Amino acid sequence: MSSIELTKTGVEGLDDILNGGVVKHSTTLISGNPGAGKSILGLQYIYNGVELFDEKGIFLTFEENRDDLRQAAESIGFDNWQRYVEDGRIRVYDKQVLLRENDFGAAIDILLEALDNDDYERLVLDSLTMFQLFFESEREQRTYLLKFTDILRENGLTTLMTNEQGTVFPETDIGLESFLTDGNIFLLQTPTDSGVNRYVWVAKMRKQNIDSDIFPVEITQGGLTVHENASAFSMIGEDGSAFG
Amino acid sequence: MESEELLQTLGNKYSAAILEATNEPRSAQELSDELGIPIATCYRRIDELTEHGLLELHDNVLSDDRRRIKVYRRNVDAVRVEFDETLTVDIAERSEVTDKLDEAWETLFGSPATSTG
Repeated sequence: MSSIELTKTGVEGLDDILNGGVVKHSTTLISGNPGAGKSILGLQYIYNGVELFDEKGIFLTFEENRDDLRQAAESIGFDNWQRYVEDGRIRVYDKQVLLRENDFGAAIDILLEALDNDDYERLVLDSLTMFQLFFESEREQRTYLLKFTDILRENGLTTLMTNEQGTVFPETDIGLESFLTDGNIFLLQTPTDSGVNRYVWVAKMRKQNIDSDIFPVEITQGGLTVHENASAFSMIGEDGSAFG
Repeated sequence: MESEELLQTLGNKYSAAILEATNEPRSAQELSDELGIPIATCYRRIDELTEHGLLELHDNVLSDDRRRIKVYRRNVDAVRVEFDETLTVDIAERSEVTDKLDEAWETLFGSPATSTG
């Protein structure tokens, strides 16, 4: 247990607060409300994999089609996204592919086939929320989330799953999913007069000592940047409350 | 009428026990041994249940003495009977999605039922 292999996200600042990266072959939830930057973080993780670390990635999305995804990638400056998709270093399974047959069984077939390929090391599932609609009861959702993460690990993948979170402050609404995955990173946003302040909170990372403070985040060209120095930002909104 | 035939099949001795036991794939011999069903009756029940789509042939596995044996698994999770106007019997089929994930998981991590294959 002395040396744990890590996978770098390549997101500026995030790997530092994770003490180097996410644990290799683990599954980490990226939770947050809509617009918090979950999908961008996913794009960045897959893109950086190829661009910086020569690791191929799979992007599964029930939320968007491949053109939307390409546009989103290019709009934050991932200029080589399409090239990587075309040469197979990034594989995209979009909602048109996954939901084509109008039955979830077919989507699962596509999913499992995509995983059965040793070449790929990174995977993003956007979103777990949609994936869970495949199942009929909460118990089934939990059982099969566990089996699915087993399957991912066994196929050598290090996974981020986005997870829609309804509330602004996460502590009141931690779903069971959080206990079933290896790590949980929250993306938070709070409105201000001038726009929105964004934060990241690494709530859990199995096998790792992590910094559990809340750090400011910016979304600009190049995607998310985590600012390690919290004092560079005001954590507190104008009205004096941290999370509206 | 089909619904009545289905009820008849379900009501036959041992049918419910066989469905209960076949959550995991089972051979006719295993069912016969475990549930104390005479082997000829066991085969007959399996045929009836399979005919009505309640049970399905899951796989041909290799036995210890290298024979192919058929294993069956139930195809339904629930049966609902309605007596309103006309008798109807609804069969809640096992979810395809969970089936496929189960299979993929068992392929990677093994399961008692298929370890002989």
